[in-house]
Amino acid sequence: MPVIDLPNVRLHVQELNPGGEETIIMVHGMFSNLAVYYFNIAPMLAKHYRVVLFDMKGHGMSEKVQTGYDLTSMTNDLRELMDALGIEKAHLAGYSYGGLVALKMATRFPERVDKLAIIEGPDPSEQETLTIIDTYSREFLIHYIENFADTTRLLAGKRQLEKNHRMYEFLFNETSIRSDMEGEKEFFNDPAVAAIQHETLLIYGEESNCVPSGRTLASRIPNATLVLVPGDHNVPVQQPEVVGKELEKFLEFADNLNFRFNQSILDSINHSN
Amino acid sequence: MDQLIQESKLSKAEIFETLHQFITEVIGEEFVEEMDITPASSFTKDLEMDSIEIVAFSEKVKNHFGSNIDFTGWLSNMDLDEIIQLKLENIINYIQECQ
Repeated sequence: MPVIDLPNVRLHVQELNPGGEETIIMVHGMFSNLAVYYFNIAPMLAKHYRVVLFDMKGHGMSEKVQTGYDLTSMTNDLRELMDALGIEKAHLAGYSYGGLVALKMATRFPERVDKLAIIEGPDPSEQETLTIIDTYSREFLIHYIENFADTTRLLAGKRQLEKNHRMYEFLFNETSIRSDMEGEKEFFNDPAVAAIQHETLLIYGEESNCVPSGRTLASRIPNATLVLVPGDHNVPVQQPEVVGKELEKFLEFADNLNFRFNQSILDSINHSN
Repeated sequence: MDQLIQESKLSKAEIFETLHQFITEVIGEEFVEEMDITPASSFTKDLEMDSIEIVAFSEKVKNHFGSNIDFTGWLSNMDLDEIIQLKLENIINYIQECQ
């Protein structure tokens, strides 16, 4: 298992197509892990890009730590991970709380971020947000029970239920995760968010209660485009192909725009000569 | 080094033994002892593996059998239902075909 030792934490990392010219780093959401991308969205993008996936601290197969779940600590981890992997600049995609981590990266280390894709990033100022996160964790378990239980769909396996239960118990009762998230309430109002210059794609599920958050970001970030796709907050699990295609299109389209932009600069230089 | 230098094709029984070992490493010996793992065992129902455990298992398969087996690519062509239905023998057959 590839585990990378960073100054403050050990993170589990998976890379697809390590020889790819451009890199996209994908950040998962709370109470999830890198597997949310690994089986479908990541292999689609790996046809063209080096794809880096990692488990956030306290999640998946990364180290269990008690503190540092706020966006500043999370982005310190991500920057140190990029340093450790020798990645100067990368496209970033983040889902749910991982979307907020990606946004925070663009505000703190703009020179390290190429294009920015936010999937279902919730506005932390909405009182609902913690509720959404709680609901999401319940849905995560229900999703598991519905899809991974036996054919009678009565009960998920004992070992898995216990494993999930242990994860929630650990994160809720033994770490600072909830207070760290509450401390981010004003994040969308941070002038640094409105100052993000990166080309930004906002992917939200039509049925998701996070759509207003997507609209808020679309109105504040100058180069942002909001795309609504079928599904709710769990859209990467519900529609991995749709999300993967939107990301492919965005990265490719952004390249075309850059090409056209460079071309127009060349043209104007030529004309002025 | 996990990389295997193969002189002849591995039999299904040999591949099964290797995969059995990987499953033990991923989910832990104490759980495996209580299970009857056979080629007909399904990953999610019988072995109760979740997605992050299948990631760890996939990585062991790739490291051991070599990069000419595109195990992640093969899995990525399946939808969720197919992954849920996936049995050990499907993987054994896939690895044999790739040899």
